[in-house]
Amino acid sequence: MKRAFPGACAVVLLLTASGIAQSPPAYRVVPLWPQPLPNHWVLGSVTGVTVDAQDHIWVTHRGADSLEGNEKGMMATPPTSVLCCTAAPFVLEFDANGKLLSNFGGPGQGYQWPQSPGSLAVDAKGNVWVTGSGLEPAPPGGRGRATGANADPDAVPPAGGRGRGDAAARGDAAAGARGADAAAAGRGRGRGPAAPAGPPDAHVLKFARDGKFLLQIGTPGKMEGPDSQTTLNRPAAVAVDAAANEVYVADSGNHRIVVFDSETGAYKRHWGAFGEKPTAAGGGPYDPNAAPARQFRDVTCVELSKDGMVYVCDRTSNRIQVFQKDGKFVKEGIVSKNTMGATVSGQFGVVSSWGSAWDIALSNDPQQQFVFVADGHDKKVIVLRRDTLAEVGGFGTGGRLPGQFLAVGSIATDSRGNVYTGEQHHGKRVQKWVAAGR
Amino acid sequence: MRRNLFVGSTLAGLLVVFGVATTVLQNKANAQGKGAVQAPRFEVDPMWPKPLPNGWYLGQTIGVAVDAQDHVWIIHRSDSLDAVEAAADEQTGTCCKKAPPIMEFDQQGNLLRHWGGKDGDGFQWPASNHGLQIDGKGNIWIGGNGGANDGHILKFTQDGKFLLQSGIKKQGLGPDSNAMDRFYMVAKVSIDNKNNEGFVADGYGNKRVAVIDLDTGKIKRYWGAYGNKPDDAAAAAAPRYTPGSTPSQQFRGPVHCAEPSNDGLIYVCDRTSDRLQVFTRDGKFQKEIFVEPESLGDGSTWDVAFSKDAQQKYLYLADGRNQKLHIYDRQSLTELTNFGEGGHYPGQFYSMHSIAVDSKGNLYTTETYQGRRVQKFVYKGLAPVTKKVQGTVWPAATR
Repeated sequence: MKRAFPGACAVVLLLTASGIAQSPPAYRVVPLWPQPLPNHWVLGSVTGVTVDAQDHIWVTHRGADSLEGNEKGMMATPPTSVLCCTAAPFVLEFDANGKLLSNFGGPGQGYQWPQSPGSLAVDAKGNVWVTGSGLEPAPPGGRGRATGANADPDAVPPAGGRGRGDAAARGDAAAGARGADAAAAGRGRGRGPAAPAGPPDAHVLKFARDGKFLLQIGTPGKMEGPDSQTTLNRPAAVAVDAAANEVYVADSGNHRIVVFDSETGAYKRHWGAFGEKPTAAGGGPYDPNAAPARQFRDVTCVELSKDGMVYVCDRTSNRIQVFQKDGKFVKEGIVSKNTMGATVSGQFGVVSSWGSAWDIALSNDPQQQFVFVADGHDKKVIVLRRDTLAEVGGFGTGGRLPGQFLAVGSIATDSRGNVYTGEQHHGKRVQKWVAAGR
Repeated sequence: MRRNLFVGSTLAGLLVVFGVATTVLQNKANAQGKGAVQAPRFEVDPMWPKPLPNGWYLGQTIGVAVDAQDHVWIIHRSDSLDAVEAAADEQTGTCCKKAPPIMEFDQQGNLLRHWGGKDGDGFQWPASNHGLQIDGKGNIWIGGNGGANDGHILKFTQDGKFLLQSGIKKQGLGPDSNAMDRFYMVAKVSIDNKNNEGFVADGYGNKRVAVIDLDTGKIKRYWGAYGNKPDDAAAAAAPRYTPGSTPSQQFRGPVHCAEPSNDGLIYVCDRTSDRLQVFTRDGKFQKEIFVEPESLGDGSTWDVAFSKDAQQKYLYLADGRNQKLHIYDRQSLTELTNFGEGGHYPGQFYSMHSIAVDSKGNLYTTETYQGRRVQKFVYKGLAPVTKKVQGTVWPAATR
C-alpha cells in the first residue's frame, strides 16, 4: 500500500504555518488494564466499548460464540479443562482503574438477546443500549460487500496461508491423525460457528444499568428494507440525544441512519449517504478509484458532537460523513482510501475485516478538536482534525502485545482524555490509552 | 496511571527495582521463617519485547530458547498468519506483514537477527516449523510437524547458515517409530552438550524419543513410553485418553518435549496423555506423573524447563491446555504452585506452547494458535508459597 505520507506531512506543516495547528497528543498504552477478570472469565471478540457519565467503561463482546475450543474448555461437554476458561458475561462495566463493577447480558424475559452484540452506548440517564449486529458474513442482500469475489465465506485462496489459523490443519490439534477425535472431544466442537439458534439480528435493546430490560426496537429475522419505520437490519451502533429523547441507529444492513424516540421506540426519521434516500442495494463493492458511492455500504458507527452534528462511519467506503441532526449532509472525510479487506475462515467461523472506518470517538476537549478512528483492517487508530477531517496523527500497530491491535473495531474517550479501544476477531481485548506524559 | 510508569522505565531502573525487590523478598522470606514451602516467584514484564519493525506480525509462536549471551530466540509459523493479519502482504491494507520465522531478541527486547522460511542449498525448510533449541556451540536446531511431509530436523548457525539436515522431507511420509534414518513430525530437539547428544521429541507422527549425535545428526538409540519399543500400530489402536483410564503403554503424543537435566534424566511430555515420563539417558523408565489429569483435547504437558541453579531444583511445566505454568520440585515431582490464566492480557495465555529460562532465571513463554506472542516473566527470587494457584502474575506494584 502506498500511503500518502508526504501528503500528511504537508498538511501538518501547513497547519503549523497557519498557526491553528493543534496536534493531537501522543498516546501510550496502559498495559495492565483492566484488572484480570474473576471466575476464569475470558473476553470473546469485543464489539463495543463506551464510557458513561461517571467515566465507567462499558464493554460488550460476542462471548462463547467467538471463542475457540481451547479458550473455553470449561464450557465443553465434557469439559476439556476444569481450570480455564469460560466466556465472561456479555456486558461488563469497569471503573477507570480497570476494576470490574458489574455485568449482565444473555437471554431474558421480554426480549431477544442478539446472536452477536454489535456496539453499545450508555445514555445520559445511565441506560445501556446494545445492538444486535448479527453473525458474519452479512446475509445476501445485506451489506454491500457480500458480492463478487468475497461472496463465498468459505473461500480459502490457495496461496498465502489464508485460513491456516486453523490449528487442526497444522498438525497441532492433537497427535497425528487424531484431529477429528480432538474436535469430538470438545476442543473444537466442530468447525462451524456455534451460532446461537434463532433468527438473524435486526434489533436494538435498551436496559437499565443493572440489566433490567426496558425497550426493544426491531425484531430479529424481520427485515423490511430501508424504508421501514419499524424494522432494522443488523444495526451496528446507536447514539442517544438525551435532550431530544432520540436514539440514532446505525442501521448497517439498511444503509441508513434511522432515528427513534428513545423512550417509546417510535420512528422519527431516516436518511442515507449524503442525506439521500437509502436503497436496499447500498453502495456495492468498494473501488478506491471510483467516485464516492452515493449510498452507504456498512454504517458501523454513529456519534453526536457537542455542537449538534451527527458523525457516521461508512466502514467499507473508508469514510466519515457528517450530518445535521435532521439528516442534512454537511461533509465527508476519507480515511485510508486504499484500504480494502479480507474474509477468512477460522475455528470459530468466518471473520470479515473490511475497510478503515470501523468506529469513531470524539475528543473530550470543549471544542472536540479531534476524531479518533478505529481502523480495524489497518490495525491502528487514526486521528483526524474534526474541522477538516484531515489526518493529523495516530497510534498503535498490528500485533498481540500491549499497544498493538488486531481488528480494532470500537473506540471511546472519557472525560479525562483517556482513550479505550476494543478488538474484534482474535484480538479479544479492551485496551486503555493515556496521553503520553500524563 | 503513575503506577505503570515504572514498567516502561530504563533498564537501569528496572535492575534497581529488581535488586531491591529481590532483597526485600529474601528478607521477608527469612522473616517468615523456616519450614514454609519456597518456590520461584515470577512477574510478567508487560512491555517485553519491543514492537517488531517493518510492520511484522507474529504467527503461532511454537519455540523459544535462550543462548549463551542471554539472547532470546523464537520460532513461529509465518504461514499461520491469515489474510487479515498479513493485510500489507496481501496489499489490502497498511498492516501487517509476515515476520521471518526465526527471530533473536536481546535482553531489552530489541529484535536482532531474523531469518528462515525457505529451502536452501542442501536442505528443505519444514512444511510447519516447530520447536527451537540452541546447542553449546550456539547452533540452532529446529523440527517440523507438517503432516505427511516433515520427517527431518535442521541445524543452522545463528546467522542462518545451513549446517545439517537429518532425515527427509517428502510428500506422503507416514509414521515409522523404529526408523533409523528419519523422523516424523518432530516437536523439538533438546540438547545434552556434555554428551554431544540431541534428544528428539519425535513427535507428532512418530511416538518416540530419538537420540542423535549432534555432529552427524544420526540416530543412536530410541524408545517409547515406559522405555518400550515403539509400536505405531499399537499406538494408533490405543483409545483416546480419558481421566483415570489405564495408562497407555505407548506414547499417545504428540511427544512434545524430551528435556535432559544436568543429572542425566530425560523429561518427556506425552501431551494428550496428560503425563510427564522420566527416563535415564539410555531410555530406562524412572517414573511418571500426571498433570491436571482431567484435561482433554490437546492435553496438559506441552514443554519443560528447569530452574537455573546447578541442581535444577525446580521444574517448570507449560500447560497450554489449562493456561498454567506449573512449578514442581524436580526431585519429588510435587507441584508447589502455578501461575497463569486464560486471556490475551500480559501474564495470561492462550495455548502457552514453549518455555525457556535465561541465566538470571527469567522465564520466556510463547503461545500458539491465536495467542501469537512471546512473553517475559521476571524472576523475583524464591518466595514462600502463599497461594498455590496464583492466577495472573502482574508486577507487585500494580496489585
